Amino acid sequence: MSNHTPVIRTEGLSLRFGDKMALDNLNLIMDPGAIHAIVGANGAGKSTLFRILLGFLQPTAGRAWVLGRASDALTPADRGLIGFVNEEHTLPSWMRVEQLIAMQRQHYANWDQAIYDEVIGHYDVRARQRISELSRGERAGVNLAVNLAQQPKLLILDEPTLGLDVVAKRAFLEALLYSNTTQSCTVVYCSHQMDEIERVADNLVILERGALRHTSPPDDFRARVRYWIAEMPFRGPDPSSIPGLLEVQRIDGLHHYLVLDQDDAFALFLQQHGARSTQSMPVSLDRAVNGFLAKGHRMPVAA
Amino acid sequence: MARTNPLMISVATGDSRPISKQIVDAIRMQVARGELEPGMQVPSVRGLAQQLSINPNTVAKAYAELTAEGWLQPRQGLGLYVTAPRARFSSAERERRLAEAIDRFVNEVVALGVPASDALARLDDALRAVSRLSA
Repeated sequence: MSNHTPVIRTEGLSLRFGDKMALDNLNLIMDPGAIHAIVGANGAGKSTLFRILLGFLQPTAGRAWVLGRASDALTPADRGLIGFVNEEHTLPSWMRVEQLIAMQRQHYANWDQAIYDEVIGHYDVRARQRISELSRGERAGVNLAVNLAQQPKLLILDEPTLGLDVVAKRAFLEALLYSNTTQSCTVVYCSHQMDEIERVADNLVILERGALRHTSPPDDFRARVRYWIAEMPFRGPDPSSIPGLLEVQRIDGLHHYLVLDQDDAFALFLQQHGARSTQSMPVSLDRAVNGFLAKGHRMPVAA
Repeated sequence: MARTNPLMISVATGDSRPISKQIVDAIRMQVARGELEPGMQVPSVRGLAQQLSINPNTVAKAYAELTAEGWLQPRQGLGLYVTAPRARFSSAERERRLAEAIDRFVNEVVALGVPASDALARLDDALRAVSRLSA
């Protein structure tokens, strides 16, 4: 695989469950060597996408490639190059940690014990402990250490810090971010937690209802969204006529707008609709993403 | 040999400034306040990333911006160092600041009623003393 082959590529990928499209003509390219964060509301199609990528589900239409190989033709050797960490951190609960390690070492040719030891150093986990005796945070740590020690080319993490306390979450992020494995592989990180995404992501991918809505570095996305406040004595423009509108609110007689892809000409637009004064400011990544995803959920239907 | 100096900065998620911009602002502020002095070494990319619990690429981006603006300077294989002020300003900016400094000096001296030749001699002494010290 050359350095420029996308780690994940999908073309027109669609999956229909009954009359609902879980994936709707999804075209995605993820370049190697970065941390890609995927965000999307519940039901955006993230889990379905992973199940197709790993070959567990067949799409209704379209195709997908992982590490340059068609996802329905992955060999065991290909699978050995893909790590997957899910939110439940499902591990065999009856095993002792040392038994789990012995088993993984046998299954994975690239197993690197030093990487396991370094990552697990972030946690107070003993080799003799049974998986069932571990806390959720410790189980997450073992799961991550095992996956990093396998030295995957692609590591998929699906809501890995869900339900972890702040200490465990921090340990998890640090173990992930500063591992040598992470430096040399491609990471796909799914999370609803925007503070994590701001800390870890090189690239932001926004999915909505099974389709790709945006992809770019997080700061570029944030720069597309701006917050405006206008002093308008009257009702203000019809929401359906406002360019790039994501959110509108009227608070204490002032009109608040969250808009996408609007430059200073937006001030002019507001003035033409009776604004006496306008002010604007940038927003946090959290606000930008939430506003973007909330669009269509809160917008009043044009009267 | 210079050692890495601690960098006392923090970043916040949920801010309207990107994290890399927060780092740029914080370091510029520390240099301006004199908390980071010319010749001091700043933490490594990985070190600062670990300190702040963020992606090392974010630190690399901030350092690249600070280097491009002349606040930091790489030394071959050693890391990044705070630059001396003279390297930080463009020639136009230096000219402007020099004019400002002379203006301030002249205004003070005129108000004291000291003859120009005396003032110049004293200024000359003072400047020579500084350049001897830093030579």
